[in-house]
Amino acid sequence: MKCVICSREADKKGYCELHMKAYESIVKKYDVWKKALETSWKEYLSEIVKNSLTGELAKEVAEYLIRGGEKQSVTQS
Amino acid sequence: MGKYTLIITEKPDAAQRIASALNEKGKAKKTEDNGVPYYVAQRDKEIVVVPALGHLYTVAEERKGRNYYPVFNFRWVPRYTAERGAKQIRTWIETISKLANEANVFVDACDYDIEGSVIGYCILKYACGNKENISKRMKYSTLTKEELEKSYTELLPHLDFALIEAGGTRHEIDWLYGVNLSRALTISARNWSGKYATLSTGRVQGPTLKFIVTREKSIRSFVPAPYWEVKAEVKISRSVFEAEYEKDKIEIKNEADTLLNECKGKNGQVEKIDVRRFQQKPPVPFDLGTLQREAYGLFGYAPRRTSYIAQRLYLEALISYPRTSSQKLPREINYDAILEKLSEVPKYKKLAAELLAKPELKPKEGKKKDPAHPAIYPTGKLPERGLDDSEKKVLDLVVRRFMAVFSEPAIKQSIKVHINVNGHRFYLRGRQTLKEGWLHFYGPYVRSEEVLLPPIEEGQTIKVKKVILEDKFTKPPPRYNPSSILNKMEEAGIGTKATRANIIQTLYNRKYVRDERMAVTHLGFEVLEVLEKYCPAVVSIKLTSELEERMDKIQASSEKRENVLVDAVEILKPVIEELKDKEKIIGEQLSNAIKRARLEERIIGACPICGTGKLMIIYSRKTGKRFIGCTNYFKGKCEASFPLPQKGSVRLRGRNCRGCGWPTVQARIKGKRPWALCFNPDCPLKKERKKKIEMRNMQ
Repeated sequence: MKCVICSREADKKGYCELHMKAYESIVKKYDVWKKALETSWKEYLSEIVKNSLTGELAKEVAEYLIRGGEKQSVTQS
Repeated sequence: MGKYTLIITEKPDAAQRIASALNEKGKAKKTEDNGVPYYVAQRDKEIVVVPALGHLYTVAEERKGRNYYPVFNFRWVPRYTAERGAKQIRTWIETISKLANEANVFVDACDYDIEGSVIGYCILKYACGNKENISKRMKYSTLTKEELEKSYTELLPHLDFALIEAGGTRHEIDWLYGVNLSRALTISARNWSGKYATLSTGRVQGPTLKFIVTREKSIRSFVPAPYWEVKAEVKISRSVFEAEYEKDKIEIKNEADTLLNECKGKNGQVEKIDVRRFQQKPPVPFDLGTLQREAYGLFGYAPRRTSYIAQRLYLEALISYPRTSSQKLPREINYDAILEKLSEVPKYKKLAAELLAKPELKPKEGKKKDPAHPAIYPTGKLPERGLDDSEKKVLDLVVRRFMAVFSEPAIKQSIKVHINVNGHRFYLRGRQTLKEGWLHFYGPYVRSEEVLLPPIEEGQTIKVKKVILEDKFTKPPPRYNPSSILNKMEEAGIGTKATRANIIQTLYNRKYVRDERMAVTHLGFEVLEVLEKYCPAVVSIKLTSELEERMDKIQASSEKRENVLVDAVEILKPVIEELKDKEKIIGEQLSNAIKRARLEERIIGACPICGTGKLMIIYSRKTGKRFIGCTNYFKGKCEASFPLPQKGSVRLRGRNCRGCGWPTVQARIKGKRPWALCFNPDCPLKKERKKKIEMRNMQ
């Protein structure tokens, strides 16, 4: 199975090791953003894509998620 | 010549200094044999001093050829038989052998450390015909006449065999790891793609790359988090100062906004003033690592560069032996004599006199020790030749550090004013040096800012000019630079002071990392991934440092060379088998990475025409000519293309044009100086230059 973003080998979630790490980082940091700005998951994703401090792997994952790469948002609950 | 004493040194400069120091009648006579210099000195008997050129012998496989692995059988051979471009070594060994035939006393005067001991031992054993057991040893830490004479009259009766054994084992193990792993990677990639590219890794190189890749992964998957900082601009006695809110980070926007509203337009009142006096102790003497870090921080010199500069200063007898781990300055180096010599230099005269006036000179020392050498210190000798800028800077740094360690602590005062603004506390901070102490000696290299506050009293009302709310984001961890990675290697206990800087350079040479802030390339990622996947043991930091410890124990005679070697091979064997087994899949992964790396190498920068594509060097299939084109051309989005010189080589410069901001390349033609080429036809600098030429022609 190939990574949904690059051509590397992926795990069950569909991400390679590098993009998986970035995905986990995105999910983890959402709590901080939600508490700080009461921001929605989608707003959060577009904010981190624009931010110059966001790492390029995290940006790639966020862009993929914005394009609807994930059927349901993980952290909306 | 009758029978003489043959002294062997590590480098030609050291040979000349030793010969002249031992010669009773001034400068020793230089002779050459087949282009190999040696020096003849007259003392109680004739002395011939012949230099090596660093290592003349190396570890090599018993069976010839570079295209196979695993290799576990090795021997020590002359370097010219094992390495390309080492032909000169042959005449060097022949000359030493010839000189050894007429000698009846042998003295090893190579640097007194692991490398020097191995160099001397190999020459005495192989080039001089098994003279290692009868040879005596000179031990010195500076190349000054006094110390060299003392070292010669107090010769150590034999070589330091424990040090030699430790050094030899280190070479053998590093060779076994390096040759097997590097060949496994290189051969896998070549067999798969049919193209050759050098890939390497080693016992220390792999774990070092792992440090950098781990950091790179954190940076690339980093997601910033928002936070807010609140500051108050306060006016006291006509001066404006910035006071910071008691919490350095506010993590909720609403909280920050409320704070801002509550403080707006309100004045503050001084609740309390904390005054704290504290001592800042002098720094410790330089060992190689701390000198490299300081020179990087102050002058931006890469560790390897500092190491070379320090080595040159040592060979000029201006500083002591730099490849030391010691932060100790023993009394025997004679502090007074050094300071007296330094006082002959106008810029140090006053400083040295101040120290000499002290009733007792006692250095502030660090914890690190080195059994062979003291910390780095200046000899006080004046340079015999004009030093270049970098040499002057490093020498001045060593001199000032040496003086600073004998000085008093600096006394500083910090002031923290607690200002209450409508129930919210802000701190106004001041910093002041009350007594300079060692800072007086280390002055140009001290990085500290003074913030002087006007007189303030408790209960005083403070005018708040403005309250500022700053939007901030957390930052990713910083990338390693050559200095911080050296520090990390030291902390982890991998590599030695002599090898660390070169290992860092190899990572650049192999194109695993690029830029001063070390960014990992695609190739670097792939190589580490292969190593982690198929042979995690060779990138294990724990395993590497354990092996280092055991090698150190050989030096202390508490571990046997054979045991360490056998265990190292035991670890390596299954790793190589696994690599061999997976050669095809590894070959494919690495070949793709090399292909991508070569493509990356041709990318010059962002396309200034379309803004989304990248400019790269392209070779026309039809004509074979090279030019610059945009990657969006293939998508039909951008037609930007620019000509390039067809002669010589063109490579990335990594800097943009200062005239137009476009990316530039460096062109190089044999026999000419390389030049920076801006390919923007409308570059204002080009137009300016053209105008100037036209004006000149008109005149």
